[in-house]
Amino acid sequence: MRIGKLIRLARGNLIRELGALAVSAGGVALGTGCLVFFLALGAGLQGVVNEVFPVSTREIEVVVPQLALGNLLGEQKIDDATVAKLRALRGVAAAYPKMQLRIPAVSRYNGLFFGREVRMGLEVLATGLMPELVGADARMPFEDQGEGQPIPVVANRRLLELYNKVFAPQRNLPHLTDSMLIGFQIPLELGRSFVTGRTLANPQETSMQLVGFSERATLAGVSMPLAAIQRINRKYGAEADTYSSVLVRAQSADDVTDVAGAVRKLGLEIDDAERRYAVQIGAAVELVTLALSLLAALITGLAAVNTMQAFYASVRERTREIGILRAVGATRGDVAAVVLAEAAATGLAGGVLGVLLARTAAALLDRLARTGLPDFPFKPPTFFSFQAEHLALGVGVALLAALLGALIPARAAARLDPARALSE
Amino acid sequence: MSAIELRGITKRYPPREPGLPQLELLRGIDLTVRRGEFVAVEGQSGSGKSTLLHLLGGLDRDFDGAARVLGCDLRAVTDAELAALRHTQIGFVFQSFNLLPALTALENVLLPDFFGDGVPDAERRALEALDRVGLSDKAGARPAGLSGGERQRTAIARALLARPPLLLADEPTGNLDASTGEGVIDLFRQLHREGMTLLIVTHEARVSHAASRVLVLREGVLGAEGAEAVETE
Repeated sequence: MRIGKLIRLARGNLIRELGALAVSAGGVALGTGCLVFFLALGAGLQGVVNEVFPVSTREIEVVVPQLALGNLLGEQKIDDATVAKLRALRGVAAAYPKMQLRIPAVSRYNGLFFGREVRMGLEVLATGLMPELVGADARMPFEDQGEGQPIPVVANRRLLELYNKVFAPQRNLPHLTDSMLIGFQIPLELGRSFVTGRTLANPQETSMQLVGFSERATLAGVSMPLAAIQRINRKYGAEADTYSSVLVRAQSADDVTDVAGAVRKLGLEIDDAERRYAVQIGAAVELVTLALSLLAALITGLAAVNTMQAFYASVRERTREIGILRAVGATRGDVAAVVLAEAAATGLAGGVLGVLLARTAAALLDRLARTGLPDFPFKPPTFFSFQAEHLALGVGVALLAALLGALIPARAAARLDPARALSE
Repeated sequence: MSAIELRGITKRYPPREPGLPQLELLRGIDLTVRRGEFVAVEGQSGSGKSTLLHLLGGLDRDFDGAARVLGCDLRAVTDAELAALRHTQIGFVFQSFNLLPALTALENVLLPDFFGDGVPDAERRALEALDRVGLSDKAGARPAGLSGGERQRTAIARALLARPPLLLADEPTGNLDASTGEGVIDLFRQLHREGMTLLIVTHEARVSHAASRVLVLREGVLGAEGAEAVETE
């Protein structure tokens, strides 16, 4: 039996039994709608977690062990030789050393700050990064220009988000964007501290210029070119030959475990606090998504049972018609195919309806969140991420539920004795 | 060569209540119908006429005896082969028209084309068949919009779509008024003249008069040809 003819035959029955089948399709739509909704919500929330805790699957942060005996004795350190060893490890694509600013520094700002008069003083924490690591995130040159020149810095975008959503509203400061800030200079006093009240000999006044936002930048302060940090540390007699940490990039995600093992063999440690947060929160989101998806699957299962009842009733009502089909040459398989084609159409309609329901509910909830929830940090424009595979899965599950529901009625229809069916 | 050959056909139904004997609706029926014959089988209601027809059409294979229809041993072939036989070789006409209400008259006529390998040039043939039964203007109508006679003529057009050599009809005029019934009988006469084999079960004398041979089914026994049967020609 050709598919076009099958559809043509099924269409007539579908139109005639629209009411009963609409109930079945509605049940399937509810189940698959919930499934698609929860999957999209899970994906959306996972996206927020990824934004808050961006974790690369190929990279690890290597640090000196906090409680290592060698560290206490001053033997455990990360210097150029250690970085070279890390670069030589099997599976390592690159290694980028980082160094903290090891002298105090402050910034004092008195003047107009984007239209507002501001007087503030901040302790400056800075980390040195290799320019290659920042890459295109820097919109202006991220190179040390030497003493007396503004020091280029990059900031973490999450700091901007916290400033805009928490700091600025509390202090009635202006909302800032990337483009407003890039190129902006603020004063920097090296060798001075507000916290300890200590001032080093020969403090120096210079400035920092924001050249970009990067996820590579430290969350606690700003990031400067590694060469600038080394120059400043050296000038003030601080340690300038050992690094605070090294970002190691593996050749592939599959190499990360082996690389981490080799790093530990070198007596170093992996700082994966942020990764662990991300993994734990991500796992919690996945667990909740899974539980809700199971609930949706249960609803879909009930919809399949409802479909089975509807198709049983339909087959009973059409017993005589099934006899006619057999009389004009339909095989048992043809009869089953007609019932299953009707079920497939019901499931397809239910699936598409379910997807539309999910999208509508998500749009309504997003609208509610936009207007009803305060503007907190990392508040996403949408809590949902409808991915093509979710939609395909929703329609597929709906189709499957309807087909499974109709399977037994279809078998019953196929097994009807045609002579008895015609006598009904 | 015979179109139908039955030998010792017995059809039993399970007892209605435990302990009662089985119900024998057909008892040792022998029948030979030559190709091109027009045979009417008369009988009272409940005499097994419809059962005999279902059996001949391969719709019921639960019987004792040997049955060959158009050279096909009905008990030896597979279910799919029987479906193919009904699809291309046998046309059915029922008393209660048996049209699918969701389909138009044309679609009902085209129904055999939906199955198997379809029917060659089905659309044209369907329109021709509707024209032949005088319903070319009703092709788009659904059964609910047709009169009883029109429904039966649609059912006949459907039976003719695949141009089968054998037509089996079960009380085809039973639900029709006199003049409509006459029209249907005339159509059967035409088909017979064109060489089609017809076996019609009926309890109406006007149908029997059109047949070339009339047999009587009484208490499950078919009147022997030439003895209990009534020859009309």
